[in-house]
Amino acid sequence: MGRKYDIAMVIFGLLGLLGIAAFIYQLQKGLIVTNMRNPFSWGLYISMWAFYVGTAAGGLVVSSAINIFGVKQLKPIAPVASLSAFIFAISAMLMALPDIGRPDRLLNLFQYPNPSSLILWDFVVLSVYAILSAVYTYVQLQPRIAERGISIPLIGTVMKKEVTAAQLEELRRVSERRAKLLAPVALPFAILIHTVTAWVLATQFSRPWWYGGLLAPTFIAAALTAGPAVVILASLAIYGFKEDLKPTYRLLAKVSAFSAAVLLFMYYNDFLVRQWWGNGREYDALMLVLKDNLHIHAIEVSFLLAGIIVLAKKYDTFSGLVTGSLLLNIGILAHRYILFPPAYNLIPFRVPVVMAGESFEWEYPIALGEVRGTLLDPQPIFVSYWNYVPSAVEVAITVGFFGLITFAFLALMKALPVRE
Amino acid sequence: MVRYGMVIDLNRCIGCRSCAVVCKMVNAQPPGTWWQRVETVGSEEHMVPVGEYPNLSEVFLPVPCMHCENAPCVKVCPVGATWTREDGLVLVDFERCIGCRYCITACPYGVRQFNWQDPDENVRQGFERAGFDSNWYADGEYRYGYPVDHRTEDGRLVYTNKRPRGVVEKCTFCVQFVDQGISPACVRGCPGNARIFGDLDDPDSEISKVLKDRSAFRLLEDLGTEPKVFYIPPARKEGKGGVRYGEKI
Repeated sequence: MGRKYDIAMVIFGLLGLLGIAAFIYQLQKGLIVTNMRNPFSWGLYISMWAFYVGTAAGGLVVSSAINIFGVKQLKPIAPVASLSAFIFAISAMLMALPDIGRPDRLLNLFQYPNPSSLILWDFVVLSVYAILSAVYTYVQLQPRIAERGISIPLIGTVMKKEVTAAQLEELRRVSERRAKLLAPVALPFAILIHTVTAWVLATQFSRPWWYGGLLAPTFIAAALTAGPAVVILASLAIYGFKEDLKPTYRLLAKVSAFSAAVLLFMYYNDFLVRQWWGNGREYDALMLVLKDNLHIHAIEVSFLLAGIIVLAKKYDTFSGLVTGSLLLNIGILAHRYILFPPAYNLIPFRVPVVMAGESFEWEYPIALGEVRGTLLDPQPIFVSYWNYVPSAVEVAITVGFFGLITFAFLALMKALPVRE
Repeated sequence: MVRYGMVIDLNRCIGCRSCAVVCKMVNAQPPGTWWQRVETVGSEEHMVPVGEYPNLSEVFLPVPCMHCENAPCVKVCPVGATWTREDGLVLVDFERCIGCRYCITACPYGVRQFNWQDPDENVRQGFERAGFDSNWYADGEYRYGYPVDHRTEDGRLVYTNKRPRGVVEKCTFCVQFVDQGISPACVRGCPGNARIFGDLDDPDSEISKVLKDRSAFRLLEDLGTEPKVFYIPPARKEGKGGVRYGEKI
């Protein structure tokens, strides 16, 4: 660390400030500063929410693998993994914040919860997962905290205790035992955060791009791709590319690449089923992917494929690990983004029109919810297609929040005694 | 038990959009927001028939909120801001909605509208875009629409003409009138008398009699939302009141 670390902190800190400024601007003006409108009501923010839920997977999966399945290779990086789980679970909830029209009323979630809403359950499982990850990280680090303390800038080292070698040994034993107890509790939540997030979308019968049983499994596959890839990047940053960590990286790279391959399989399996019938709402949703959003589809698939190849072949080099992990994460990011255009631009209310010699499904247009055009240059308020591109404010908030998250992650990594 | 519903006779709809305008006016919808839509089925422009001469079709389809029995918007709302009242009205509590817009995603009919900015700003922009020099609303408390806030018996705000920012709104079957025993504005404002509003559970109500006599359909029946808005399909217009083109025009 040292100088490089300081530069990174300044850059991410500035990005974070930009994000906060953009968020304040959006709070003043309202969500009109985004490019979302009534026919296209969720966009980049919710894509990022789903993405961060996925990246949060790495941590507890790694930790559980150690304590439940006895995969000892992963042990050295376990604290980094569970810390990343904590940070990204918080990030997912943070990312949903700018999407909310009335953040001042968020406490209504506690006061008037509606148990049939899966958004509520997603909030519950994400919160529990975040808390469990934090506790899990603390349990693992307990002996080291007693030994070395937590170093906070300006304040100094806190929570350091005078311990004898025997006491330290006892602490290590207790920490190990508690970690073993926590892992089976945490694992179901590590699975649930992805499935419940997927169910938020997959339960919507009026949106054929999401509806069905396949979305939750693809969310798990995407999470097992992005999660370990993020843990690889974080561990490389903290521990570096050391000889004794090579088996660890190799295992993580294999898990990530294999999951990406499974994801692609499930994805194209779905494509084939939709394509074969050659007509209908499911087919039309697929055509929105292959025609209107082909550029995003090309990014997701080419980056995932490239990532799989790089991680499968170059898992024993530093550059290979970094490139592969980044490629896979960008692929998953595009995969998350493409959740929305084919869902919204297929207006659910379609009326079949049968005329002599032709028949087609006519989409009933939806009012945009903004003032458009002028007296001399009128523009339609009712549209059946909305070409959503994130606005500058949306991009600024998204990038800024990413900066904020990375800043917090790096700061925690430095403060906590994560190294051996 | 009262269970309100609506029948729209498509034979009587002339596509004039009076329902949409009176709805917008009475319910104080900001510019850009419409609770009620009327379109010509299959056509890109309203009032333009589809097909090729002489095989033309021009069916107008007005779409208010369906007030579904199995309403997806009610099920998805995380805070219960949208709920089905005992009399079957699906309402939005303006003071509880957190603006997550999950209901907009869930509603298959596209009737739900979000206040993307302060509605007063929409009005200001509306004046500006229409070429007026000044904002007539700049000062004073006046807003168009039914002037009194309306709350349900349990005190939930379901109508106000000073609409808050960042909440979802939609057709309420004019709850402020229904609670006073008056029909919704679109029913009263329809020049063709195409709409009937009433109690579906009362066998003697006009709406029940109409539904008993004639075949009706509901929109997106296959989604199982069970709408309480029924449509009477349009019959081919021939003879009296219809148009027949002879050999020569």
